[in-house]
Amino acid sequence: MADDAQAPDAPAPTPRHLAGDDVGIVHARDFTHPGTFAFKSGQAIEGFTLRYETYGVLNATRDNAVLICHALSGDHHCAGWHSESDGKPGWWNNLIGPGKAVDTRRFFVVCANVLGGCQGSTGPSSADPATGRAYGTHFPFVTIRDMVNAQKLLLDHLGVSELHAVMGGSMGGMTAMLFAIEYPQFTRRQIIMASTANESAQAIAFNEVGRQAIMQDPAWNNGDYPRDGGPRVGLAIARMMAHITYLSDAGMDRKFGRRKRETAGGEAYTFDAQFEVESYLRHQGQSFINRFDANSYLYITRAIDQFDPARSYGSLEQAFAPIRAESLVVGFTSDWLFPPEQNRAIALALLRAGKRASYAELSTDLGHDSFLLESPDLYTLISGFLERSETYVFDFAI
Amino acid sequence: MSRLLQKRTVDMQVIGEWVEPNSRVLDLGCGRGELMGYLVQAKHVSATGVDLDFARISACVRSGLSAYQGDMTAFMRAFPDRHFDRIICSRTVHELDDPAGVILEALRVGSTVTVGFVNHGFWKNRLDVLFRGRKVRNDVYTTPWHESRPANPLTIADFEDFCRERSIRVARRAHLLGDWRTRCPLLPNLLAGYALYDLARA
Repeated sequence: MADDAQAPDAPAPTPRHLAGDDVGIVHARDFTHPGTFAFKSGQAIEGFTLRYETYGVLNATRDNAVLICHALSGDHHCAGWHSESDGKPGWWNNLIGPGKAVDTRRFFVVCANVLGGCQGSTGPSSADPATGRAYGTHFPFVTIRDMVNAQKLLLDHLGVSELHAVMGGSMGGMTAMLFAIEYPQFTRRQIIMASTANESAQAIAFNEVGRQAIMQDPAWNNGDYPRDGGPRVGLAIARMMAHITYLSDAGMDRKFGRRKRETAGGEAYTFDAQFEVESYLRHQGQSFINRFDANSYLYITRAIDQFDPARSYGSLEQAFAPIRAESLVVGFTSDWLFPPEQNRAIALALLRAGKRASYAELSTDLGHDSFLLESPDLYTLISGFLERSETYVFDFAI
Repeated sequence: MSRLLQKRTVDMQVIGEWVEPNSRVLDLGCGRGELMGYLVQAKHVSATGVDLDFARISACVRSGLSAYQGDMTAFMRAFPDRHFDRIICSRTVHELDDPAGVILEALRVGSTVTVGFVNHGFWKNRLDVLFRGRKVRNDVYTTPWHESRPANPLTIADFEDFCRERSIRVARRAHLLGDWRTRCPLLPNLLAGYALYDLARA
């Protein structure tokens, strides 16, 4: 997921933490699970921490929670601002807030950084209590199911009795899907956006190039590097490459075209960044290395590659058999990483399994990142799905 | 209730009588889900709709209905034989690219296929063409040719011929007069304004 949905030349967003439809200043909290946590791989760690944020209030029946699941490079900060001088709100601030599509006056919104992540949750960059040093590649292999199980422990800790909904885009959609499969009694609705039930060879290939860029950087050192060091070149290249897969040909053309920026001496024959798209990608790479851990990138991309409920449960229909949630799947026409066809496949398998499921598709040119789109159509769809009453009442006034 | 509104609920009345309670229904060209909503409420069916338009799918979702945005034939191909108890193709068949393909695929995926259509052989439509010499315009088709979607108007006789040629068994018929309520006693191709058929594989 792009950490910057705005064009680089767009004016900085006005801080709106005091605006009526924003959740305002928010603070992250840490949940620490004290017991042993067993991973799907068979490995285990003694306790873990998830960093999370919540907005809105859990109701008396404890069933108005909406769990937001982030994508590969996302985090727990999905709405609001961290301080009054914060330059940028949470990554889904356009969708979440009082009166917005995910209405925090109505829902208790929870979002946690995934297990294996690096934004405050336990992951490869955390200290291994056995050695006092970062786990590095000694951290257990993480799967989407491990992320789901860890977040379920957080929701139990918060006293959530039932999820009104679980939702996410890209990897977040995979997480939502597994929540509905693994905790069917607990999950009433799921929204899966720009996601897939199993990555194509092309998507795995892109992840592998990213991993190789990291692992071929000598500073990776088999995953053993100091906190402020590591394979910065490799990670930046991985991010630049991945970022292209989040956009689209038409979207990039609209955003950058062949526009050039001023080079130092007006020199045309140089390998300095000349085109705006080059400086944009370099900026994306550089800003990423300051906030993301290379080992986490390896672990999480691996978890995404391995996600394949059809294989894990025999078939997609069998995987979906226990689901009790109503489902909404949303595809985006210009998404070529997890294209509409792969989102349709999820909805069709849910319907074949006899589940209540809908599929809607938005025409956009923003590529995979379209799920972050500022679109009234998308807001109407999401709020309609989240707020509809359980019992159907037909309005005869056609 | 206005006359037009009455006409819009004709499918609800007739199909509502035909649909088995608690059955699994697929509505091809479901629109904003009016018919599905009625059947869910009155017959407790489990309904799924297919439509091409995002806003209509979004309206279905808001009403608590399952709806799929996409091509109806491609949708049906994703399901095993007789997955649905009933497939409804109401006032859609004249706008399809490949009506025979859709109906035959529906007969594979559904045990029963209900088709409802406006009879263009209705005497008023014939007179309209004969005397005005222009594209038929009436309560239902209100727009001139240049503001209309491509349509493939059919008559009851056309549809009967089709079923005979393709050996499709007609399990039930409802021919309604110009008011779209009263059953048509004779000469349906001339006197009926609207027709509903329940089809099954021979």
